[in-house]
Amino acid sequence: MIALQDLVVRYPGAGSNAVDGVSFVSSRGELTALAGPNGSGKSSIVRALLRRAETPSGSVSIDGRDVRSLSYGELAKNIAVVPQREETAFPIRVQDYVALGRYPHLGLWRAPGHEDFQAVDDALSQAGVTELATRDTDALSGGEWQRVRIARALAQRAPALVLDEPTTFLDVAHEMSIFELLFSLARSGLAVLLVSHQLNLVARFADKIVLLDHGRVATSGSPVEVMKAERLEAIYGWPVVVTRDPAVGAPALVPLRRPLQL
Amino acid sequence: MFFRSRLLLSTFLAVAPLVACDKASPRTDVVRDDFGDSVRIGAPPTRIVSLSPATTEILFTLGAGSRVVGRSKYDLWPDSAKLVQSLGNGMQPNVEAVLGVHPDLVLLYASQDNRPAADRLRSVGVNTVAMRQDHIADFRRLVTLLGRILNDSARAQTVIDSVDHTMDRVQTATRGASRPKVFWHIWDAPLITVGSGSFMDELVNIAGATNIYADITKPSGQISLEDVARRDPDFILAGPIGAHAIESDPRWRIVRAAREGKILVVDTGLVARPSVRLGEAALSLAQLLHPGTVR
Amino acid sequence: MTRFRPAYWPALIAILILIAIIAVARGAVSLPIVAVFEALRGRGDPTAVAIVRDLRLPRVVLGALVGAGLGASGAVLQGALRNSLAEPYLLGVSGGAAVGAVLAFSLGGTSEPVITLAAFGGGVAAVFVALAVSRAGGRAARADLRTLLIAGVIVGAFANAAIMVALASAEPNTIRGALWWMMGSAADATWTRVIWLAVSVALAGGALIYRAREVDVLALGEDTAASLGVDAENAGKRAFILAALLAAATVAAAGLIGFVGLVVPHIARGMGLRAHRPLILAAGLIGATLVVAADLAARTVAAPTELPLGAITALLGVPFFLVQLRRLS
Repeated sequence: MIALQDLVVRYPGAGSNAVDGVSFVSSRGELTALAGPNGSGKSSIVRALLRRAETPSGSVSIDGRDVRSLSYGELAKNIAVVPQREETAFPIRVQDYVALGRYPHLGLWRAPGHEDFQAVDDALSQAGVTELATRDTDALSGGEWQRVRIARALAQRAPALVLDEPTTFLDVAHEMSIFELLFSLARSGLAVLLVSHQLNLVARFADKIVLLDHGRVATSGSPVEVMKAERLEAIYGWPVVVTRDPAVGAPALVPLRRPLQL
Repeated sequence: MFFRSRLLLSTFLAVAPLVACDKASPRTDVVRDDFGDSVRIGAPPTRIVSLSPATTEILFTLGAGSRVVGRSKYDLWPDSAKLVQSLGNGMQPNVEAVLGVHPDLVLLYASQDNRPAADRLRSVGVNTVAMRQDHIADFRRLVTLLGRILNDSARAQTVIDSVDHTMDRVQTATRGASRPKVFWHIWDAPLITVGSGSFMDELVNIAGATNIYADITKPSGQISLEDVARRDPDFILAGPIGAHAIESDPRWRIVRAAREGKILVVDTGLVARPSVRLGEAALSLAQLLHPGTVR
Repeated sequence: MTRFRPAYWPALIAILILIAIIAVARGAVSLPIVAVFEALRGRGDPTAVAIVRDLRLPRVVLGALVGAGLGASGAVLQGALRNSLAEPYLLGVSGGAAVGAVLAFSLGGTSEPVITLAAFGGGVAAVFVALAVSRAGGRAARADLRTLLIAGVIVGAFANAAIMVALASAEPNTIRGALWWMMGSAADATWTRVIWLAVSVALAGGALIYRAREVDVLALGEDTAASLGVDAENAGKRAFILAALLAAATVAAAGLIGFVGLVVPHIARGMGLRAHRPLILAAGLIGATLVVAADLAARTVAAPTELPLGAITALLGVPFFLVQLRRLS
């Protein structure tokens, strides 16, 4: 559904490309993960999807249509992005914040109708934040705020959902519940693209992992195909072992110790 | 308060020697100006810089015009004054330019703005005199002092007497007539008028009228248009620009005098400074306010 | 957090009307309230009619428009720039307008339309210079609206320097006139000026209300705005230009009236408003009330001397920043 074709992203004044010819597809019904070390280009791809980065060559298309041919509004109806950080300047009520997710459909003047209210309610319940609806955004914990942001993106009712590190600062319970949510959203038909450095969690939930290294696709495929110790060691620059935990049934990356020589 | 007591002190000190002794006074004398600084009085100066219209006019009238080597850019009377080199602003003057003409006497208007310049000039040894010019009495003191400095007190007295004579004549002529109430418009934005701290208020009284803002004790004050309407002057005095502004501004209609067209245009060059032409100034005002009464 | 109730709207309007009536009824000439109403309808003593209709009424209307314009402008800027301390004068508008006015004064222009036009032209020019300066920051910086803020501060600093240079060698009358203008006043209100300001406020304010939802989205941050389909750079620039033009119009009409654009949006938000459409409207009403009240104080507190309006509104800054200080600690 979202298809990148040899995408190049370059920041003005930078010596090299942040993203250097990346191609992959994130399909409907699948949870696709973008992983890789810091600086490998993951967030730059998200910025390119938001049209906030220069893309000198290559393309991004939605269902075959190049995003450059779409207006900002149409793009927002097709992809909902949850950026890495969001801070509202002034606290507002959660339900009003989530309701702003309907802006791509309502525009400047249309009054919200039945469908819009339904979308907001559905988004709140999917993200598990219905009981927070009347709270102010500055009265939320880190985890609650994260889920509220996802609710906002869900309210957009776009067929594709892109999230940039959605589980930082979350504890185990919240992190797992977010991943479960994303998994079930993918299964319900959305194309979910997730940027995360949590390789082990991604391995358990994603249908496909695209592993980036220095702006290029080092490898991509199912978690089992991608999680190979030598390759991971080369990419991350740290000795690792890849095990397969029978209780979980997915490959797990275990970094080895390398004590400092003092 | 501080200045007022200084003023009194300096006036007393300036006048006392004149009163106590006659004009055959010792060759070198010390008098104080309105900054409280001492003024050397010895051999008459030959290179005078005069930085206000009043002092320039007085010097020329005292026959010392040829000794004036520098003036302020506003000093334009008499005509021969225009031939003197202009040294720029009279307020906060350019001290270097003043020193450049090698004066042995500098005359300044005694406002706080000019303190630094006066101090600088004194520190290099130039005889500097700063005098106030707010009241008609200040004019007399100024002429008297300049007369002493130029060693021509008799002529100074003649000038004073002549001016006083004209003003007395005007005052007598208008004594019997009714005293109209007058508003003197100085500036628009903000609206500024003359207070009783100014010689212009004295001129109004001499010319047989009352300033509606005599309750302002400073030389000038800022008021509101509505207050002017409330005080209901019979006449408005204004310079040509001010008169035009009043006539073309619909809001001035709230003032009866403006509605009735009772706007008297004054010659600002004549009435805006307390100088040798005070008599003429009083006369011109009286002719505007009481036409036909004085000749 | 307080919740805004629909009943607050008629209350805000009623307070504005009440203050306006008091302002029209009070002045150096005491007129009984009945006479004031008669005068408003054109009946009664011609002087009273002239005072009420030609002097006080345009002044009150001008003050209300200035307050409304500044309040609305401040509300939009604080949302679009995501900064609760943003205010219209930070954009360089006030500096540019002041330069325009001071230049007009020193070139000898004292007639009203000249100063007003010069001030408006200066304000508009300052806005575009700020935009150009922000472009110098490069593509990434340009997309960050804080660059606009910094550019505005730069323009303002330059304008201050220019004003000082112009006044240093100016005649006393020029200095007095320029200083009086800069201290802000509704005293020179004529119906012509009021109409020009009303048209500007209606146009710019109307455009801002039209695009108010966009500001709601901008207030979420540039990435989120992009995700919701708003081009943050262009939308931000639009908001910036409209808010700045609105402020420039008020400066041209009444000089520098500080703190209104800063404080009024906080009051409106304190009443529980968040969405920018109602927020802009409320800020307009509150700003209008505040400036009319301040002008009344300026006229009556030290009668017959008129205090400059900008001085009264500057007093607003003191309690405001004290409250901010308390919030920080």
